[in-house]
Amino acid sequence: MNARIMKHPILGERDPGKTMQFTFNGCAYSALEGETVAAALLASGIRTLRVHEEKGTPRGMYCNIGHCYECRVTINGIPTVRACMTLVEESMIVEAGTVLPTPLQKGGHHGCLIP
Amino acid sequence: MLDSLIIGAGPAGLAAAVASARQGLRVRVVDEFYQPGGRLLGQLHQEPDGTWWNGLAEAARLQQEAVEAGAEIRCGVSVFHVTRQDTSWIVSTSEGVMEASMLLIATGASETPVPIPGWTLPGVMSIGAAQVMTNVQRVRVGTRGVIIGINILSVAIARELLLAEVKVDRMILPAHSVISGDASHPVAVMQSMLRIAHLAPSPLIRMGSKWMKSTWMQRLGTALYPSRGFSMWGIPIQLRTAALAIIGVNQVEGVRIAHITPDGQPVSGTEQIIPADFVCIAGELSPLAELAAVAGCPFAYVPSLGGHIPIHNERMQTPLDGLYVAGNITGIESAKVALAQGTAAGMSMAFSHGSLRDPHVLSDSIKQIEIVRNNATLQFHPGIRAGRMQVGLMAAERSL
Amino acid sequence: MESHRVIVCRCEEVSLADLIETASSYSCTARELKLRTRAGMGCCGGRTCRNMLDQVIEAVTGQKPDHAVSLGYQPPVRPMSFQLLGGRK
Repeated sequence: MNARIMKHPILGERDPGKTMQFTFNGCAYSALEGETVAAALLASGIRTLRVHEEKGTPRGMYCNIGHCYECRVTINGIPTVRACMTLVEESMIVEAGTVLPTPLQKGGHHGCLIP
Repeated sequence: MLDSLIIGAGPAGLAAAVASARQGLRVRVVDEFYQPGGRLLGQLHQEPDGTWWNGLAEAARLQQEAVEAGAEIRCGVSVFHVTRQDTSWIVSTSEGVMEASMLLIATGASETPVPIPGWTLPGVMSIGAAQVMTNVQRVRVGTRGVIIGINILSVAIARELLLAEVKVDRMILPAHSVISGDASHPVAVMQSMLRIAHLAPSPLIRMGSKWMKSTWMQRLGTALYPSRGFSMWGIPIQLRTAALAIIGVNQVEGVRIAHITPDGQPVSGTEQIIPADFVCIAGELSPLAELAAVAGCPFAYVPSLGGHIPIHNERMQTPLDGLYVAGNITGIESAKVALAQGTAAGMSMAFSHGSLRDPHVLSDSIKQIEIVRNNATLQFHPGIRAGRMQVGLMAAERSL
Repeated sequence: MESHRVIVCRCEEVSLADLIETASSYSCTARELKLRTRAGMGCCGGRTCRNMLDQVIEAVTGQKPDHAVSLGYQPPVRPMSFQLLGGRK
């Protein structure tokens, strides 16, 4: 099934615009013009955008309007950017958040990268 | 310097921009989202007369009117602080500091979720998220989903998902917990749906008023009995089933459900897991008033309006000099009420500024809010008028 | 109870059980509940869970929200880089 809704009975046809390439955790994906990072990744079946910095539990888009910050990623080196509010641009480099070290916390750890 | 800075390019903010810019004010609207329209952007429902309310088209129309009136709209701008300094408002944003003599906060509402175990899994999203992804970003949120939470908003969005050929397996209630409130109580949910059905042949429901008054209410009444519930547009709406947990390792794989008694207690031996690749959580809306709070505005706690409301008078003025509010930040109502409030706030700012001299223009715009409210086909809460009166009295106590 | 295991504050992963236990032990306000558990102190600034914290307090202590906002709001209301706060973009 194509995840993109190109035809809609009320809203009509969607203009595909130009196709852009970007990477997420080093893998290449494509986006249609006007798609947010969250939308373009969802269209490619990617739901996990980061893991909880401490617990490592997977997280994805939740509110999709910029309120919850669950979809925050690093874009072109800038951290804490909301994937749901950011339109894909050509050659954008998107990286998921990973577990961060918590060496000072009781039972803390020094962090690891998600696969 | 700007005469008026408007935070939020939703129906209220854009309508205020149109009204005040037409009166000659120098107006700028800022919004975090990449496109103006706010919560208009996802809306898509059928009116009782069969026509469609297309929020995207409404947003585009308002944007054009605002620009033609001379207002400037800047998207992708996050406001993180506002303070009053001498005779102006200093607004700190991700794009630098802005200054204006008047400030209108029209930041709308946020969703208060009813949490379910497993709701942090990727693939679980708020009902509003699914609406925006479907109608604005035009990407399907999954192939088979479950909506947890049955209310006017979630029923409307279920239909929008259906229009986009996204399969909603069923709509069920959240499991009871100490914070689930009426949302997990079948009888309370039925009553709130009946109340809406009675007040309005809902624009959300295709069948129209006649059907609403007969079959719809009857079905709701009987829905308490066969626990499989009833269907709307082929979507099973199960008031007697609750989501106990969302299941999955790295993302949503299913939902563990059980039948519940009319007061919301799970019936033992009825548990089962149904497959799903997405789940929507539908809670309540509450005014998003954080910027009014950091500005120092006093609040009224009014549950029928959705929670804490910045105190304001009918001219949409708060007790703080030059600070105005409009739209859902003043109470949860429809986009049409927000539009009317925005127009009134715009006129009110123009009147304070002195460019609008005729007080009748302002008072007519205020009266229009009540006219729109009376004509609304959808009433979010039966206590809205009483709640608004309470806020008005609190404003009067402050000689507003 | 299964429902108690549910996470209320997604940012800081604070469970309903933690919140109920803290609210019961200290019979506290929403603000104290936040400071003791970190619920509402994460990246989103409590936008997602603040009403639920009020609900926990009401359920446990019977204290209903009043006109004053129980959990204060502090600027910045969005996470901002030190660079930006320092005046550079």
